[in-house]
Amino acid sequence: MSAVLAIAIKDLRQRLRDRSAIVLGFVAPLAVAWLISMAFGSAASFHTNVAVVDLDRGQVAAGFTTFVKSPELAKLLTVTSAVNAEDAKAKVAKGDLGAAFVIPAGYSDAVTSGNNRPITVLTSVDASIAGQVARSLAQSFTAQIEAVQLSVNAAVSAGAPAASVGQLAAEAAALRLPEQTITQPAGTKTLTAINYYAPAMGIFFSFFAIGFGARGFFLERNGGTLDRLAAAPIGPGTILMGKSLATFVYGAASLSTVALFTSLIFGAYWGPPLAVIALIVALALTIVGMTALVITAARTERQSEGFASMLTFGLVLLGGNFIFVGGAPEMVRTLALFTPNGWALRALTDFSGGADWTAVTTPLIAILAFGLGTGVIAFALRRRVVNQ
Amino acid sequence: MTALALAVAELKRVTRDRTFMFFIVLLPILVILLVGVTTSSSSNIRIGLVPGQSTPLATQLGNDLQADPAFTTVRYSTRAKGVDALRRGELQAVVVIPTTLDADLQSGRTTQIPVLVSGAIENNQAAVTGISSVVARHGATVQAALFATTHTSRAFAENLVTARTLQREAPVVAVRTEVVNSKGVVLPVGYSYSAPTMLVLFVFLNAVAGGAAIIQTRKYGVFARALAAPIRPRDLVLGEGLCYFALALIQSVLIVVVGAVMFDVSWGDPAAAVALVGMWALVGTGAGILSGTLFRTPEQAGAIGPAVGIAFAMLGGCMWPLEIVPQSVRLAGHAFPHAWAVDAWTNLLSRGGGLAEIGGYLGILAAYAVGLLAIASLRLRRSLVTP
Repeated sequence: MSAVLAIAIKDLRQRLRDRSAIVLGFVAPLAVAWLISMAFGSAASFHTNVAVVDLDRGQVAAGFTTFVKSPELAKLLTVTSAVNAEDAKAKVAKGDLGAAFVIPAGYSDAVTSGNNRPITVLTSVDASIAGQVARSLAQSFTAQIEAVQLSVNAAVSAGAPAASVGQLAAEAAALRLPEQTITQPAGTKTLTAINYYAPAMGIFFSFFAIGFGARGFFLERNGGTLDRLAAAPIGPGTILMGKSLATFVYGAASLSTVALFTSLIFGAYWGPPLAVIALIVALALTIVGMTALVITAARTERQSEGFASMLTFGLVLLGGNFIFVGGAPEMVRTLALFTPNGWALRALTDFSGGADWTAVTTPLIAILAFGLGTGVIAFALRRRVVNQ
Repeated sequence: MTALALAVAELKRVTRDRTFMFFIVLLPILVILLVGVTTSSSSNIRIGLVPGQSTPLATQLGNDLQADPAFTTVRYSTRAKGVDALRRGELQAVVVIPTTLDADLQSGRTTQIPVLVSGAIENNQAAVTGISSVVARHGATVQAALFATTHTSRAFAENLVTARTLQREAPVVAVRTEVVNSKGVVLPVGYSYSAPTMLVLFVFLNAVAGGAAIIQTRKYGVFARALAAPIRPRDLVLGEGLCYFALALIQSVLIVVVGAVMFDVSWGDPAAAVALVGMWALVGTGAGILSGTLFRTPEQAGAIGPAVGIAFAMLGGCMWPLEIVPQSVRLAGHAFPHAWAVDAWTNLLSRGGGLAEIGGYLGILAAYAVGLLAIASLRLRRSLVTP
C-alpha cells in the first residue's frame, strides 16, 4: 500500500510542478466560470422594451395601452415612448425597442362598428422573440373583441335573423371568454447559466487529466523509469494502482475545487453535497479508465497526446459542455447520453432544476458503466503495452 | 526564398500530425454543426404540451399551439415527463390540457388551462403571454360556437366549424406584423452565426496552441542547426511566420468552403470576406508565434493555449452575442481582437456591408496584427540569437 501511495504522490508532485496542470485543472475552469457569471449574472427571464404609438386616442386604444402597462407585464415589458410610427420604426431598427405597437387612427370606432382596422406590431430581424411576444400580447387583447364579433357572425351564419344583430352584439358583449390560462409553478427552479456552465467547464478541464496521465506514462517508459520500477520488489499491479490513484486524485481535486469555489464565489448550485461527491468520484474513476484506454491504444507519447485530446474534445462536444444541451434538438440531447460527462450534466442540471438526490442514481450508474467499460477494454488491450 | 523553403518544410512537418488535422479540420466542423443546429432552434419559445384526451376541442387547442409560429412545441404523454423537461431547461413552459376540457366547455363552464413554469411565475411571462394568446383565440371560437348554438337550432360541432372558418378567413380585428429592417445588428441564428464565430475562435485557438511547434523545434535544436548553415535569423522568423499564416489561411478557407457548401452560409461581399480572413490570419499568426516564445514547454502551449483561446473567444463574442451581455462586459470584450472580427463578420453577413463598411474594423485588426507580429518576431529573433 505504501508503494502505491509513494508512486501516486510522486506522480502528483511531478504533475503539479507543471504549470499547465495547475492552469487547466484549477485556474482555467474558475476563470471561465467567472466570465460566464459576469456575462449573464443571475438574469433568467426574457425582458424587452416596447412603445405604443396611439394614433387613435379612442377608448379601445386607451384600454390597450393600459393593458401593456399592467403590473403583471412589468417583468416582461418596459413601455417607453415613441413620438410617431416613424420614430418607433427607427427605434426598433436600432435595437432600442424590441417591438412597437401602432394603433391606427379610427381604431376604436372601427372596433365598435365591426370593421377591420389592424393594430400593427413593428418588429426587427434581430429580435424575433420580442416580436412574437408583442404579437401575442396584441392578439390576447383583441381576442375578447374578436369573440364578440365572431359570436354574432357565427350566429347569423347559423340562421339567426340578420335583423337581430344589434341585440346579438349586446348579448355577446356580456360574455367572457370560456377558456383562460392559469400559470402554476411546476415545483422546479430556473436553470441559470452559471449553474450549467460552472460544472460543464469544470468537467471539461478535468478531462485534460487523461492527457497528463497518458503522457506521463510514456515519458516514464521512454526515460526508463518504468523499467527501473519493474526491477523493484513491487508487482505491475502496484505500479498501475499508484499511477491510477494519481490520475484519480488529480481529476477529483480539480472537480472538487471548481465545485467549491464556484459555489462559494459565484453562487453556483451543484446539488446535494453527497450526491455531488458521488458524481465527482465516479467521473474521476472514469478519467482513470479513459487514461488507461489511451495508454493501451497509443504507441508513442505524441500519439497518446493526440488520442487524449481527441477523446476529451469529442466527449465534451457531444456531452454538452460547450453548448447548452437543453436548448439543442432531441437528437443532440440523446447523443449527449452516450458520454459520461453528458450524464453528469444531466444529474447536475436536474439538481439545479430542483430535483432531489435520487436524480443522481441513473447518471451515476451510467458514468460508472462507462468507466468500467473503458477499463475493461484497456485491460483487454494490455498486451499492446507489454509488447511495446 | 530561404524563408519560403523553411515555411514549406515546417508546414509539411506540422500537417503530418493527425491530431493537428483533427483540430484544424474535424473539430471546427463538428462545433459549427452543433452550435448551428442549437442556435437555429433558439429563435422560438420552446413549450411542452400534455394533450389530455383526444376529444375535438382538446385536439384543436393542441393543434393551435403546435401550429403557432412563436413556439416549438413538444408533446408529452404525462405531466411528469413535461416537468422533467422543464427542469432541464428544455422548455420554457408546459401546457396541460385538462381531460375534461370538452365536457366543461360544451356545458358552458369556464375552463382554466394550467401553464406550468419553472421558478417565479413573473419570470416566465414571454411564454405565458404567447400561450394565453393562442388559448384566447381558441376560446373566441368556442364562445362563438356556443353563442350560435344557443341562438339557433344548429349543432355545436357545426357552429364550431363555422366559427373557426370565419376566424381564419375573415379576421375582424387583425394584428399585422411589419418587420422594419432587413439588415440586423447581430449575426443571424443558425450556421450563419456558428460558422463565422467558430472561424474566429479556431483560427486563433489553433494558432496559440500551435505555438507548441516552435517550442518543440527549438527544443530539438533545429533552429540552432539551421543557424549553423548560411541562414539568417530573420529568415527563420519569416519562415515560421509564413508557416503559421499559411495554416491560419488553410483553416479559414476550409471553414468558409464547408460553411458555404454544407451549411449554406452566405459569407457576404467576397472582397471584404477575403480581406477579413486574411487580416484575421495575420492576427492568428502573431498570436501563434508569440505563444511559441511565451510558453516554456510544448505541453504548456498545447494545454494553456486552448484555455486562453476559449476565454478570449467568450469575451470577444464568439460563444454568445455581445449584445446580450451587460455594457461593461461588452466594452471589456472589445479589448480583444475577437470582438472586432465578430463585429466585422456581423457587418458582412447581417448588414450586407462591403470593404468600405468594414474598413474601420480591418484597421483595428491590422493594428492588433502589427502589434502581435512585432512583439512575437522580436521575441523569437532574440530567442534564436541568445545562446
